[in-house]
Amino acid sequence: MNAADVHAGSGAQPRRVWLFAVIGVLVLVVLAVAYVQWRQYKLLDTAAHFQNDALGWSFSQLETEQLRLHNEMQRFVTDPQHADADKVQLRYDIFVSRVGLVDHERAAEVMRGQVAYQPAMAQVHAFIQQADAVLGPKPAQALSVAALLPLMTTLQALNLPLHDLSLGASHLLYERATERNAAVRLQSQLGVGLTVFQVVLLLVLAFIVLRQLRTLTQRRLSLEALADSLSAARHGAEAANRAKSAFLANMSHEIRTPFHGMLGMMSLLQDSRLSPKQAVYLDTARESAHHLLAILNDILDISQLESGKLQVASQVMDLMQLLNQVDALMRAQAMDKGLLLRIDVAPDVPRWVRADPTRVRQILFNLLSNALKFTHAGEIVLAVRHGADGRLDFKVTDTGIGMDDATQARLFQRFMQGDERPSRRAAGTGLGLQISRDLARLMGGDITARSELGKGSVFTVSLPLASAGPPAQSADDADDAGAGTARPLRVLVAEDHAVNRAYLEAVLEKLGHRGVFVGDGHGAVLAVQSQPPDEPFDIVLMDLHMPDMDGFTAARTIRAMPAPHGRVPIVALTADAFQTSRELAREAGMEGFVTKPAHLPQLRDALLRYGRGATMMAPEEPPAAAAASTASPTSLLDMATVGDVMQTLTQPKYAKLLGRFFEQRQETVAALRQAVSEASHADLRSRAHSLKGASASLGLRAVSALAQQLQVSAPEPRSADHARLLDRLEEVFELSRVECQSAGLLDGFTPPEALAPA
Amino acid sequence: MDNTPCGARRPWLIAAAAFACAALLHMPALALDAPKGPVVLSITGALTHTNDNGAASFDMALLATLPQHSFSTKTPWFPQPHKFTGVLVRDLLDAVGGSKAGTARAVALNDYRADMPTDELIKNDAMIAYLFDDRPMPVREKGPLVIIFPFNDRPELRTAVHYSRAVWQLKGLELR
Repeated sequence: MNAADVHAGSGAQPRRVWLFAVIGVLVLVVLAVAYVQWRQYKLLDTAAHFQNDALGWSFSQLETEQLRLHNEMQRFVTDPQHADADKVQLRYDIFVSRVGLVDHERAAEVMRGQVAYQPAMAQVHAFIQQADAVLGPKPAQALSVAALLPLMTTLQALNLPLHDLSLGASHLLYERATERNAAVRLQSQLGVGLTVFQVVLLLVLAFIVLRQLRTLTQRRLSLEALADSLSAARHGAEAANRAKSAFLANMSHEIRTPFHGMLGMMSLLQDSRLSPKQAVYLDTARESAHHLLAILNDILDISQLESGKLQVASQVMDLMQLLNQVDALMRAQAMDKGLLLRIDVAPDVPRWVRADPTRVRQILFNLLSNALKFTHAGEIVLAVRHGADGRLDFKVTDTGIGMDDATQARLFQRFMQGDERPSRRAAGTGLGLQISRDLARLMGGDITARSELGKGSVFTVSLPLASAGPPAQSADDADDAGAGTARPLRVLVAEDHAVNRAYLEAVLEKLGHRGVFVGDGHGAVLAVQSQPPDEPFDIVLMDLHMPDMDGFTAARTIRAMPAPHGRVPIVALTADAFQTSRELAREAGMEGFVTKPAHLPQLRDALLRYGRGATMMAPEEPPAAAAASTASPTSLLDMATVGDVMQTLTQPKYAKLLGRFFEQRQETVAALRQAVSEASHADLRSRAHSLKGASASLGLRAVSALAQQLQVSAPEPRSADHARLLDRLEEVFELSRVECQSAGLLDGFTPPEALAPA
Repeated sequence: MDNTPCGARRPWLIAAAAFACAALLHMPALALDAPKGPVVLSITGALTHTNDNGAASFDMALLATLPQHSFSTKTPWFPQPHKFTGVLVRDLLDAVGGSKAGTARAVALNDYRADMPTDELIKNDAMIAYLFDDRPMPVREKGPLVIIFPFNDRPELRTAVHYSRAVWQLKGLELR
């Protein structure tokens, strides 16, 4: 690019000089041609105006008149009786008048080369002087033969000189004409030469202009090509970024699930008998794990913020309740450090506002955590006030170590930490402030910071939270409802896997709702359609990946129905954590989205939030802690989920579900093998997906992971890989069953046919 | 008003005077007076009003009855511009009823002849002059008549063709 510019710059200068030179020469040539033309015009004009050519005629006329006068005189002399004096007079007058035409300055100039001119003229004038005595205006003597005879002698003497002059003038004029012709020819040649030169110059000019145009065109083309390649590169970068976001979201989901298991296991481990040393190790491990989880959540938030896919909900929420929660959680930490935490709410701050409670809480937690982290004595105050433009200002003031200007300048940058000492690095990811500010901006607000080294800091979140009326049913009632809603809901569940269906049935039963179960999208559509209009379903739980008709199509078909069926709330169920799946589901007309494994709290929230006739708002509840009913120190099982499910369903029901799942394992694997041997990729993927969801719901981590691998590799036509995976699946199935059995998870389950392993 | 020949107090006198005026204006067109002095210009050929055996002959007095014009112009024959006075060829042709003729051949005393289209003579305001710097022109000064064009006012006339049509010592026009 730079090289091209330099080249173009050095080339343009001489080219411009050339252009100006050519134009200059062209102008000179045109002037020269104009001069030549003007000369030619003057030459011709002068020749015509002064009648130089006529001089020869005038001389010959004079000669003729001389002869005619002599004749007339001769006639008069020969026959005086019949002679006409008037005729002689007329001829004489005409002769005299002709003399004036050859005897003047210009004629003298033209005839300068003729030696005979002056004497001949003198001779003519001498004759006139002599004749005027007889024929002049005032004759001294009467016309008579005697008077004419001497005149005739003198006139006769004029014969030869006049004839010579006539011839001389003619020759002279021939020479003048020849000269003039030569001059004209020269000028014509000059004109032609100049014209040719002009044409050549014009051609050169045209060539230069053409070259200039071609250069311009080439430059334009190269710029266009550059723009195209830049645009392609941008698209590539955007696609890569999207892929990265999807990968991050997916990965953090995949990491989080086993992570919860690990945390659960550690909780269980803590309850067992440990030596003091072991207890310290375990504490450290737990702390590290929690920190890791926080980082993971931050990264997920960042990736979603970056891809612009994080969306902020706007719902009516109880601000006082949120502040109480924040207070409750933070007060314990503050007391641990011996700090005073005060929450100061101005009396005019509304209780009910429209906002996204999760995100507001996230921001406040982050700011308060930072304040706690960097304050070692004194107090931390969260003040809530009305700010400018109807905003609400949340001001967090601490008496901590504060920041210098340089630190403040870098405050909201990624991975920035107030304290750069390595020992401090473990205390936070450095993403928290950036996320908080991005979230605040996403909500239309902002975060500002003010600080003084050694005196503490003030962080102010300013958010445009509109005040709202309280929801129709107060949140207290919802809390009172405990595990369920005010009334039982009629729930349609579309789920292809039997175990998942059984699991969901158990969950719904526990929540006090009535479920109707179908195995695919067609079933769901038919079930919705066949309901009497006065008794429609209150909500549909829709698995997204089902054979025959998937959840997206089914949702769209239902939405196309007339009310009330077309208006039934639909909540998507899927094992995907992809944002794109979420968006596709929303586009298909589904309101909610629940990620598998769908635990009781999530399902209860979803039913509360989206179910027809349910309360507007789901009561917030911290995620259920890992159950501590059984212990299984193995990675085959996801003990967090196991505990969760057992708590939800009671142990016997879980044992029953698990038992039935293991009973069908051979048929399941056989069906998968058949799909592989028939190279039916879609079938393989759908079955693997279904297995993944079911096993994840039951907490069979290893089985779920293998099913996921199968699902992902389904479109690849390498059946050898598939066979290997299936072998491994069978093995893990068996290991998991043994594990569950030994952990007592299958206690109380009796196979219907009492098939004991051989 | 009263002293004008056409103005009078009584209606019949007005009518008679009007008739007389009209007759006076038309008289030269209808019939030319016969020349009383020496004939200086003789027009022959395609013409309708004659006064001398199928020709229209003019003496100086007769020429003076036509509208008089004068202009100054440079010519190839004199270094200085000179004033010419005379009658326009247009008026002369009207007077003899020869406007429809195509060509006029000018003949000089020395038998110089030049043919010229009459419409060009009319268009270019060609004049037959008899006064040169307000003086009559004797034959020895290329008089008594000359066809002259306004060369000064019309540069396009400054050509050999038009100079050749400026005929000195004019004595006759033959209309064809």
